Amino acid sequence: MALLHVERIGGLAGFGGAGAHVRSLGQLDLDTLSAEEQRAVENLFQSKGKSKATPIRDGFSYRISRTTSGRTETIEASESTVPKSLTQCVKDELV
Amino acid sequence: MLKRFANDKKLSAEQRKSFADASKFEKEWRQQRLARAEYIRAAQSILPTALAAVGPAAPPPAIVVDDCAHGNTLPGTPLPNPGTSADATAKRAFIETKAVAKFYATVFGRNSVNNAGMKLLSSIHYSVNYNNAFWNGNQMTYGDGDGSIFIDFTKANDVIGHELTHGVTQYSAQLAYANQAGGLNESISDVFGSMFRQWDANQSVTQADWLIGKDIMGPGAIARGFTCLRDMADPAATHCLAPQPTKFSQYHDGMDPHYSSGIPNLAFYQAAMAIGGKSWLKAGQIWYQALTGFPPSPNLKMSAFAKRTRTLAGSLFPAEPAVKAAVNAAWTAVGL
Repeated sequence: MALLHVERIGGLAGFGGAGAHVRSLGQLDLDTLSAEEQRAVENLFQSKGKSKATPIRDGFSYRISRTTSGRTETIEASESTVPKSLTQCVKDELV
Repeated sequence: MLKRFANDKKLSAEQRKSFADASKFEKEWRQQRLARAEYIRAAQSILPTALAAVGPAAPPPAIVVDDCAHGNTLPGTPLPNPGTSADATAKRAFIETKAVAKFYATVFGRNSVNNAGMKLLSSIHYSVNYNNAFWNGNQMTYGDGDGSIFIDFTKANDVIGHELTHGVTQYSAQLAYANQAGGLNESISDVFGSMFRQWDANQSVTQADWLIGKDIMGPGAIARGFTCLRDMADPAATHCLAPQPTKFSQYHDGMDPHYSSGIPNLAFYQAAMAIGGKSWLKAGQIWYQALTGFPPSPNLKMSAFAKRTRTLAGSLFPAEPAVKAAVNAAWTAVGL
């Protein structure tokens, strides 16, 4: 089982930022994703989540971590590039 | 005079009715005439760029509202008459967007976000329980909130002003969205969002609440004592959902722009308060020219922006040295 840890960050309210009292966390098993979404996740990690600068302002990003072969990788990707299963696995909460 | 004619029995009933109707609008008309004269006088005494375009040639922007119906596909389905819609969110998005366009046209002589009448498209009811609003480079998008932390994002007119101002920045200074330029980008949206809210309510700087997002806070957040996203007057306050730094010495690269924006937000607040009166008449004019009156500068540093405003305060208001002193003191207070 490969567990993905997902955090929604940014947005107008600055989710997950330093000192912020709002955050959004979730996790899901990579194996439960469709083959297409698994490929999309793999592509995100291969590209390190990097995409060309977008004009989106106040958009959410997602910090995604996975541990493979004892090594943890973390990437950040903008909402439009993240598979729906991941964007829907997080829950917004006050801290 | 109008009331006297309205009661003059020598005139026909139709004529008296015309004068009576006109008298009802006289007060508002006089207020608008005075305000317009004030803006034009300020514009004529001021600068080069956008203010030279008072009375813009292009027609005003079309205001369009699309309904995402809780889907994630933009822009959604166009609503035929959003201004009279039974959907309060649609009606609000239309009315407030139109008001922001009027604010930029009246106060700064700017015709839409691109100063060329660009259509202003808002998509509402985006996604499900979506706790955000954003500008995607072409349009605004508003979520309904989850009903606990946040409510409908169209309910805060400063939020609508904030998102539209991202469009203004995109078509002017073209500030990047990281590091110091990112913090400036976010601050500009907070500054003009709050300024729009004040203009809309005809508030002086002492009457304004200087809060960002006060009207989208949900019951769960309010119960925890969070009354806003950010407070321009006190960025580090505990009632902010996302408290911010107040000194440039706290800044480092890599900060979320919504965090580092606290520094220039506080500078604007302090400048506007020291100048007094209505924020959009002096401090706002200085900030607007610093944003739009220079070539695009994507990687602008906060100190460079501060320098622009210090210079502009002197050139825009040469007979009022207190204005330049206020701007200088405000930036100095935050360490810039």
